[in-house]
Amino acid sequence: MGSAQSRRIDRVAAAGALIALAGCVWLPFAVSRANRIVAGVPAGIGSAGAPGYALALLAVLALVAALYPDRGRRPAFALASAAALAAILPWALGRSAVTLLAGAPAFARVSVGGGAWLTAAGAAVVWFAASQAASRRTLGYAAAGLVAASWALAFAFGGLDRLSLVMEYAVQRDLFWSAVGTHLSLVGISLGIALLIGVPLGVAASRVGLVRDVVLGVVGVIQTVPSLALLGLLVVPLSLLGLPGIGPLPGVIALTLYSLLPIVRDTYIGLAGVDPAIVDAGRGMGMSRLQLLLRVEAPLALPLMIEGTRAAAVTIIGIAAVVAFVGVGTLGVLVFLGWGQQADDLILLGALPMVVMAVVADGSLRWLGRAVVSPGLRGDLR
Amino acid sequence: MIRLENVTKRYGETLAVDSLTLDIPAGEVCVLIGPSGCGKTTTLRMMNRLIEPTSGHIFVDEADVETLRPEQLRRGLGYAIQSVGLFPHLTVGENIVTVPKLLKWDKERMAARVEELLTLVGLAPSEYEGKYPRQLSGGEAQRVGVARALAADPPVLLMDEPFGAVDPLTRQRLQAEFVRIQRDLRKTVVFVTHDVDEAIRLADRIALMRGGRLQQYATPEEILDHPANKFVHDFMGADRALKRLGRVKVSDVMRTDVPTVDSSTRAADLRSRASCAEERFLYLVDGSGRLAGWFDCADLADGGGPESAMTSVDWRESAVASDASLKEALSRMLEFGFRSIAVVDGEGRLLGDVALPTIEAALGAGDTHVAAADGQGGARP
Amino acid sequence: MKRRWTGPLLAAAAAGAFAYVVSRQDWWAAALAGLFPSLPQTVFPTATVGELVIQHLEVVGISSALTIAIGVPLGIWVTRASGKDFREIVAAGVDFGQTFPPIAVLALMMPLLGFGFAPAIVALSLYGLFPVVSNTVAGLDAVPASVLDAARGMGMGRWRMLRAVEIPLASRVMMGGVRTSVIVNIGTATVAAATGAGGLGSPIFSGINLQNGAFVLEGAVAAALLAVIADAVLAQVEEALAPARA
Repeated sequence: MGSAQSRRIDRVAAAGALIALAGCVWLPFAVSRANRIVAGVPAGIGSAGAPGYALALLAVLALVAALYPDRGRRPAFALASAAALAAILPWALGRSAVTLLAGAPAFARVSVGGGAWLTAAGAAVVWFAASQAASRRTLGYAAAGLVAASWALAFAFGGLDRLSLVMEYAVQRDLFWSAVGTHLSLVGISLGIALLIGVPLGVAASRVGLVRDVVLGVVGVIQTVPSLALLGLLVVPLSLLGLPGIGPLPGVIALTLYSLLPIVRDTYIGLAGVDPAIVDAGRGMGMSRLQLLLRVEAPLALPLMIEGTRAAAVTIIGIAAVVAFVGVGTLGVLVFLGWGQQADDLILLGALPMVVMAVVADGSLRWLGRAVVSPGLRGDLR
Repeated sequence: MIRLENVTKRYGETLAVDSLTLDIPAGEVCVLIGPSGCGKTTTLRMMNRLIEPTSGHIFVDEADVETLRPEQLRRGLGYAIQSVGLFPHLTVGENIVTVPKLLKWDKERMAARVEELLTLVGLAPSEYEGKYPRQLSGGEAQRVGVARALAADPPVLLMDEPFGAVDPLTRQRLQAEFVRIQRDLRKTVVFVTHDVDEAIRLADRIALMRGGRLQQYATPEEILDHPANKFVHDFMGADRALKRLGRVKVSDVMRTDVPTVDSSTRAADLRSRASCAEERFLYLVDGSGRLAGWFDCADLADGGGPESAMTSVDWRESAVASDASLKEALSRMLEFGFRSIAVVDGEGRLLGDVALPTIEAALGAGDTHVAAADGQGGARP
Repeated sequence: MKRRWTGPLLAAAAAGAFAYVVSRQDWWAAALAGLFPSLPQTVFPTATVGELVIQHLEVVGISSALTIAIGVPLGIWVTRASGKDFREIVAAGVDFGQTFPPIAVLALMMPLLGFGFAPAIVALSLYGLFPVVSNTVAGLDAVPASVLDAARGMGMGRWRMLRAVEIPLASRVMMGGVRTSVIVNIGTATVAAATGAGGLGSPIFSGINLQNGAFVLEGAVAAALLAVIADAVLAQVEEALAPARA
C-alpha cells in the first residue's frame, strides 16, 4: 500500500497532465464566428501555431515529470512544466485569435474553446500536485509571478486583446463597470443590514430557547426558497405596501434574508458553544451580562461569526446575479443579456467577475476569521 | 462575616436547601460537605446571588445581599470553581486581573498585583504571566484560578471544589499551599467539597449537609468525635481515628534534636561513634543540612559491613514536609516500612523526625485535645 | 429505541397535500384571477402548474441522480487506499467549487455545451457534486477508528466493512450533502428556465417579460413550496438514517 510519498509515480500530476493533453488534442482550442452571435466554427490547436504545439509538448513533458522516478526532483520538474503551460497558454490563445481573424470581416470573433479551458484546468491540477509534494514554497511563488507577467505581456504584444471576451469587454466597458459597482454595493449593503439584524438575533437565540427555535426555523425555511421565487413572492406584499416590487428594494430585502441564516446560525452556535464554566466564572466574579458578552463570549464566538459572514457573502454574490431580473443592474444583467442573445462571451463577462468576487470574499474572510482568533485558542500553541 | 438565616431554595417540588441557618465567622474556613445533591453548591451560589434563594436572608458583613447589586456583591467575593473557567482567549495575567479591571484599577497596580499573586500561588511570574490557559497543567490552572479569585483582595473567598479536577498528588500539594496561603491571608473562606479528607484537613468548621438540611456544623474534631447522628457518623467514615491524624501537622509533634552525622564521614569511622550506642539511626546530612541518607547501627551490630549499614536516599522521596499532616507521614511510613520518618523543609534540610510512638501518642491525645476544644464552645449540633 | 412518527407523517402529509394542490389547476386559476382582477390573463398558458412541477422535478431528479451516482463513489474512492493520492486535490476542488455562485456554473456551461435541457442538467449535476462529495468524505472520516478496528478484528473484508459498517454510520452525513445538493438544484433549476430548461422558472421569467405579476406569483409560490417541502421530506430521510440513539 503506497502513500503519495512512496509511490513511484505522481498519479495526481499524471492525471492533470492527461487532462491538459486532452485539452490540447481533443476539444476545440478556439471557436471562430463570423459575428458575435452566430454559431461558432471550432478550431484545433493548430490554429495557435508554434505556441499551440508548445502547449501540447509541455503537456507531454508534464506527464513525463509525473512519471519521473526521482521523487526529490519530481516536484520542481512538474511545477516547471505546469508553470510553462500556464505561461504559454495566453500566447497560444492570442496567436489563435490573430490567425483566425486574419482576413475576416470586422464583426468576426474568436472565443476561447473548451480545449483551452481544459488545458488550463489540467495545468492547475499538475501545479497543485507539485506544490503539495514540494518542500519549499518559494519556487511556487516565483512560478506564479512568472505566469502573471507572461499573461500581462500577452495582452500587450501577443494578440490576447483580439479575443472575443476582451473585445466584448471593450464594447461593454461602461455597462461592465457599472454592473460590478452595483453588484458589490448591493452585496455590501445587504450584508451590512444582515449583520445588524442577524447578530442581535443570534445573541437572542443563544439566550432564549423559544427565540432560537422560531428564528432558526424561519431563516432556515427562507434559505431553502429558490432566489427567483423569493423575488417573485416579494412582489405582492411590497405592492400592497405601496412599494416598488422591482428594483433595488426587493433586491436588498432578498439578499438580506438569504444572509440571515448563516449569520444568525453561526452567531448562535458560537455563543452557545462557550463553555458554561467560563460563563459561570465570569458571572461569579461580578461581570454584568453585557460585560460578559463583550469581553468573554463575543471574542470566543467571533471567528464563527466571521465564518457565517463569509458563507453569507459567498452565497449572495451569486444570488445578486438573479436580482438582475427585477431590474437591478448587477453582473447578472450581462449573463442574462448573453443568454438572450446567445452571446457566449457576454455571459462569461458577467460570470467570471462573479467567480472572482466570490473567491476573493471567501479567501479574505477566511483569513480574517483566522486572524481574529486569540493566540490562546490557536492550534499551534505549544 | 457571612450569616444565613432560614435560607430555603425550592425548585418546583424539590427542596434543594431547606431553611438553612449558618454563621461563618471572619477569617475562618467553613467547608460545606455532603453527598451529591445535598445542596452544598446551591448554598454557595446563593451567597454571591448566582442563585436567588426562595426565602430567607443572607448577610455578608452585616449587609443583606439582596440589597446589593449582584455584580457589585460578586466583585467583593472571590470565586473559584472546579472547572476553573479561565478565559481561554486571555493570558494568565489578563485572567488574573479580571476583577481589578472591572474595578478600574490602574495599569501599574494591576501589573504589580499579577506578579504578587503568581508568586503567592507558587508560579514564576515571568514564566507564567504571558501563557495561555491551554498551556497550563491542571494543577497550574487551579493555582491561576485561585490567584484570580484573590485578585481584588476580597475578604471572602467562595470555592466550589477548586481542587476537584486534578490528580490526588497534585490535590494534596494544592491543599498544602492553600493552608499556607490561608495562614497568611486569613480570608473568610466557604469551601465546597465532597472529599472528607480534604474537609478535615482544611476546615476550621465543617457544615455537613444532606437533602438540603444541615446535619452538623462543628469543628472537624467535634464532628469526628461526637457525630450528631448516624448519618454524620457514617459519612465521616469508619477510620475516624486515622482521619484525626489529618488535623495534626508534622511540625507540631516532630522530634527536633535528631542525631546527625556529616554525609562525607566515612562509614568505617562511624563504627566507633558513641551515638550509635544510644540511637539506632543516624541521619546523614550534607554540607547545607540537606538529608542525604541514614546509617543503621543495628546492621552494624548484626555483623554487616559499614557500607551495608549506610543508605543513601533522595529527600524528595523518603521524607515528609514539615507542613504535611501526621496522616501523610503515617501513610509514607507504612509505604516504606519505616518505624520513623525524617521531616524536611522545602529545600530538603533536615528538621527532625516522627516515629510511630509519637503518632500513637497523638492518636491518644486527640481525645483530650477535642475535649478542650469542646469547652471553648462554638460547636453546634 | 423510540422512533418518533410525527415528523415523517407531517412531511408525508405535506408532500401529499402539495401534490394534490398542484394537480388542481382550477384552484390556481381562481386564486390568481382573484388576486389580479385587472390582468387579462392570470394563469401561465403554456403548461399547467402540475406539468411545470413535473418538468422541474425531472430536471432536478435527473441531475441529482447523476450527482449521487458520481459524487458518492468519488467520495468513497478518495477515502480508500487506491484513491488516497487524489484526496487533497478533490477536497481542494470541492472547496473551490463551493465558493462558485451556482448561477455562474450554469452560465459557464452555456458557452461550452449550448442551451437547453441537457446543458442545464450537466451544470446542475456538476454544482450538486460539491456538497455530496464533501459530506461523503466527512461522513466516512467521522467513523471512529475503534469501530473500524473492531470490524477488521472480526475478520471483515474491505468491501464488507464499507457496506456493513462505514456506509451505515456515514449515511446520515452523506444524506445531509444530498439534501443540500437537491435544494440548491431546485433553486438553480428555476433560474435555468431562462436557458430553456423548462420548469417552474418559466412562468416567472414569462411574467417578468410580460409584466404579468400573476405568472410570477404562480411560479414563485409553486417553486417555494416545492423547495420547502422537498427540504422537509429530505430532512426526515436524514433523520431516519441517524444511528439509533439510546
